[in-house]
Amino acid sequence: MHDGSGLIAVQNLTKQFGPVAAVQNLSFTVSPGSVTGFLGPNGAGKTTTLRMLLGLVKPTAGTATINGRPFHQLGQPGRVVGAVLEAQGFHPARSARNHLRVYASAIGVPDAQADQVIGLVGLSSAADRKVGGFSLGMKQRLALATALLGDPQVLVLDEPANGLDPEGIAWLRTFLQSYARMGRTVLISSHLLAEVEQTVDQVVIISRGQTMFYGPLEQLRQSQQKRVLVQPSDHNALATALRAAGVQAIEQLPDGRLAVSGVDSRQVADTALQAGVSIYGIQEEQVDLERLFFQLTSGQYAGHAPAPNPYQQQQGGWA
Amino acid sequence: MGNLVQAELRKTTTTGLWWGLLIPTAVLALGWGLATGLLGQFFVDFAASGDVDEVSDFLGVTPDQWKVSLFGMARAINISTIFPMIFGAMAISGELSRRTITTTFLTAPSRVHALLAKMLVYVLWGAIYGLVIMLFLGIGVVATSDSGQLPDAGGWVMLTLVCVLSSILMTMFGVGVGALIPNVAGAIVLLLLYFLVIENVLHGVLAYLEVPAVIGFLPNGSINGLTGSVSVDLFLSSAGVVPTEIEDVLRAIAGAAGAQDWWLSGIVFLGWAGVVFAGGWAVTQSKDIT
Ligand SMILES: Nc1ncnc2c1ncn2[C@@H]1O[C@H](COP(=O)(O)OP(=O)(O)OP(=O)(O)O)[C@@H](O)[C@H]1O
Ligand SMILES: [Mg+2]
Repeated sequence: MHDGSGLIAVQNLTKQFGPVAAVQNLSFTVSPGSVTGFLGPNGAGKTTTLRMLLGLVKPTAGTATINGRPFHQLGQPGRVVGAVLEAQGFHPARSARNHLRVYASAIGVPDAQADQVIGLVGLSSAADRKVGGFSLGMKQRLALATALLGDPQVLVLDEPANGLDPEGIAWLRTFLQSYARMGRTVLISSHLLAEVEQTVDQVVIISRGQTMFYGPLEQLRQSQQKRVLVQPSDHNALATALRAAGVQAIEQLPDGRLAVSGVDSRQVADTALQAGVSIYGIQEEQVDLERLFFQLTSGQYAGHAPAPNPYQQQQGGWA
Repeated sequence: MGNLVQAELRKTTTTGLWWGLLIPTAVLALGWGLATGLLGQFFVDFAASGDVDEVSDFLGVTPDQWKVSLFGMARAINISTIFPMIFGAMAISGELSRRTITTTFLTAPSRVHALLAKMLVYVLWGAIYGLVIMLFLGIGVVATSDSGQLPDAGGWVMLTLVCVLSSILMTMFGVGVGALIPNVAGAIVLLLLYFLVIENVLHGVLAYLEVPAVIGFLPNGSINGLTGSVSVDLFLSSAGVVPTEIEDVLRAIAGAAGAQDWWLSGIVFLGWAGVVFAGGWAVTQSKDIT
């Protein structure tokens, strides 16, 4: 039925919900053996993309395949791909164990598998309680247990850390990493880079339905620039000297300092000495990943700071 | 497919809905059964005491041999099978509104597989509801009727058959409507309104327009015809030569005015259930599950 490669391939994927372009011409691949983070701010189109990959939403254009096949051609999908999706449903009156047994028989695995995964996610003691009484984190664990029922080669998780306690998050992190080390494929979405930074090897960053960055996390780290913030006695003299030394990225900051990119502080200090400019303060600034993420995704639904006086409020609302 | 059928069966047995609806079904059937016997007794006593000789002449048998219980039983089945229909209506609409449909579709080879497995399981449940209806209806009728008003063994078998058949078909119809209308309350209200009010008004209009034959081709008209025609046939088989006008009156009493033969009625309703299910299937097949 499928090639068993564990490869996820998304190609020119597009989804239009009426006037809303949820996903636009998105392309990326996810290879087995690594954890890939799928990142983007609220409304970026992460959930829509994952649901198209899982055959739940019909793409307007483009394809999404697992093992080289669209979802509905996988044959026994529960054994190939396991998924945790946001707002996934449970029948409130069904116990966790019965919920898992229902889907164990659908996938065609023995009931013992239900008990095994329920232990794996740490819900054994609540197995016979009705899911209606579960907390958000417990439901999230049950969703993960459901995804693991068929011992799938590919895991697709939409904000799985949502509602998990710190211990749960730490457990999930190691679990996903070891899952990937076994040669399986893990795709995990989040709207926080920091949340998955320690878990993922690859990232796909999207914003407004389009890819902004796609590659190893290491490459993203390297692309981040260092800046040197310097307080010179003579701004113009230092800027001229730096330009003469071939440094072009110089910026005047509102606080009176110069921001110099692409050099280290030593080089700036040496140049200043040669130009006879005194330095009152110098500091190297590392642009952190989170800020880079912000720059890449510059929120489509960024909120505004509350106006101190409502009558002076300018254009409020959504960006 | 066997796996999916087992999964769907487990879905129905791991919540309390099946018995939550089965209890009122049994109570209703028992109540109708008891009322049927009492009313029939009252009617037969009245007929035997008075000058209703003309009718008795028409029917060719004395009133105490009229199998009047048949009419009440036909009506009881028609009413009681509303419950399995509601049970069926919640099959797909319930999964859509609780969003469990996501996992159902993620664990099935295709949506067609998932829907067919569900339909099979609900056919089974329709049969179970039908048997329970017949059991409690029978208890009620036997407890309150004289043996002369009861059908013979063959009659019981035939009634049980159409009761189970009717219950299965109503459940299937419900499943289709529930797929078409992805909202539990909406699907149930529409079904109740249609089966209890709208079509009855329609029957009145059609009778007034003197085209009662059309009734037998409507959903409620045809499913009523399945049970009603059998009970009229059974009644007439033990009576003598009956004029057409009286036969029409009897059909109306059995709730099967304008109905076709029982088997044709069944096929007509199966057609309706098929149309509704095909519509629900088409809607579900292309639906974005978000
Ligand atoms: N069923 C739907 N009908 C109409 N618009 C939709 C539907 N589902 C999603 N959208 C729109 O598509 C866009 C992408 O939504 P999506 O849920 O994929 O974002 P997301 O990246 O998962 O966001 P979040 O981080 O908040 O979960 C949004 O503008 C959303 O309003
Ligand atoms: Mg989302």
